[in-house]
Amino acid sequence: MKTLLLVILGTIFLACSLKVLAQPQSQTATKTSAKPASAKQSSDEGERRFQENCGRCHYPPESLSPREVKAVLQHMRVRANLTAEDEKLILKYLAP
Amino acid sequence: MKQVLTILFALLFSGAYGLQAQENVPIFSGAVAFTASNTAGAPTFQPILVPLIVAPFGDHWLVESRGEIQGFFFKQDGTTGPYNGIFAASLDYLQVDYIANKHLTITAGRFLTPFNIYNERLSPIWFVNLVDSPIIYTIGTRTSASSNGGMIRGVAIDRQSWTVSYTAYFSALTTTENLQSGRSAGGRVDLFLPHVGFEIGASYQRFLQSGDYNASGMYFTWQPRQIPLDVRYEYAHSPGGHGYWLEGAYHLASSRDTSTWLSRLQPVARVQQFFKGTPTPEDILPSANVNQFDVGLNYYLPHDVRLNGSYGRMYSTQGNGNIWNFEISYRFLFPAWPGGAK
Repeated sequence: MKTLLLVILGTIFLACSLKVLAQPQSQTATKTSAKPASAKQSSDEGERRFQENCGRCHYPPESLSPREVKAVLQHMRVRANLTAEDEKLILKYLAP
Repeated sequence: MKQVLTILFALLFSGAYGLQAQENVPIFSGAVAFTASNTAGAPTFQPILVPLIVAPFGDHWLVESRGEIQGFFFKQDGTTGPYNGIFAASLDYLQVDYIANKHLTITAGRFLTPFNIYNERLSPIWFVNLVDSPIIYTIGTRTSASSNGGMIRGVAIDRQSWTVSYTAYFSALTTTENLQSGRSAGGRVDLFLPHVGFEIGASYQRFLQSGDYNASGMYFTWQPRQIPLDVRYEYAHSPGGHGYWLEGAYHLASSRDTSTWLSRLQPVARVQQFFKGTPTPEDILPSANVNQFDVGLNYYLPHDVRLNGSYGRMYSTQGNGNIWNFEISYRFLFPAWPGGAK
């Protein structure tokens, strides 16, 4: 059983390491890119809602794609009692 | 342990529905960490893997699970002798959620016991400011910090300048290895003032076994808008004892960003006191009064890697001691199967 656990731990650690090495520094570029005024406004509102709700416990995660964010926000709707509107605005902020 | 692993991997590799509905793609997340500690001269090492799976089914249904596989290496006689090691696995939660609306979410299965906020919101290793859990952590979260049963939660009142949220649950007694839970019922109510970043709440639990007794608690958190300061406080009371912890963490930056090396630094300090009561069955509280302070430093490296070092001093009638902790953790998150970025 110990061997099985070690193999699982090793495999996941390797997968995680490869993901780290493969990740470009994309988040900063994404968040600072020029956006239309309305998109900027909803992103600002999304940032505010993130800080008010999610920011009570943690900082924004790095490098999230829209596919990932949707599942994360569903999870947070349960944990942090987010509304559907919160979810939509925070989605625009985290994955514009 | 085999059961836990089977459940986690079955969840990860199941759900081919997502291939047709990519907007609902499940995610595989969690953290790996390595902790080195020295408590009153006794060194220990802990490799930890915390896998987390979230699988949404449309806009209203969600299946989520988190497990923990942990190694614990310690010297045979505490401070001397050769190192021994054990591995253990547990299932923190495996729950089905139905999000009816903002006022009501119904949860069934195994879930984290919602007593105060540390267990549900602050205990994941990628969130904790200090490696060690507070002394009063086990009050209201027995027997395993998880409950098996049902829970309802949501926003009771939603105004622009304040909201009131609630949680209520019931848990059945379970003695199955790695899936333990106590028979209990309880709930939590909190008031949040978003404009000043202040939240205050209260918890209650009726433990319906081992003689039926109550646990109660209150907490507050404060995050002023102007400075990147987090203040958190919890108080909990049970027949076995009562106590509190107060923690402050400050980012060395003008705002809550982590864009420079200096802003990635976060000093942390915590004070806590515990006053023993009458020991109750299954209590894992200290058997003497304890005063303790901890100071620590977090460094947030890029790509969700974090370093955490801390020093604490414990004062107790059973003996004083120094507590050193160092931890490196990596938070991972990726879709459960490959696909485009959109």
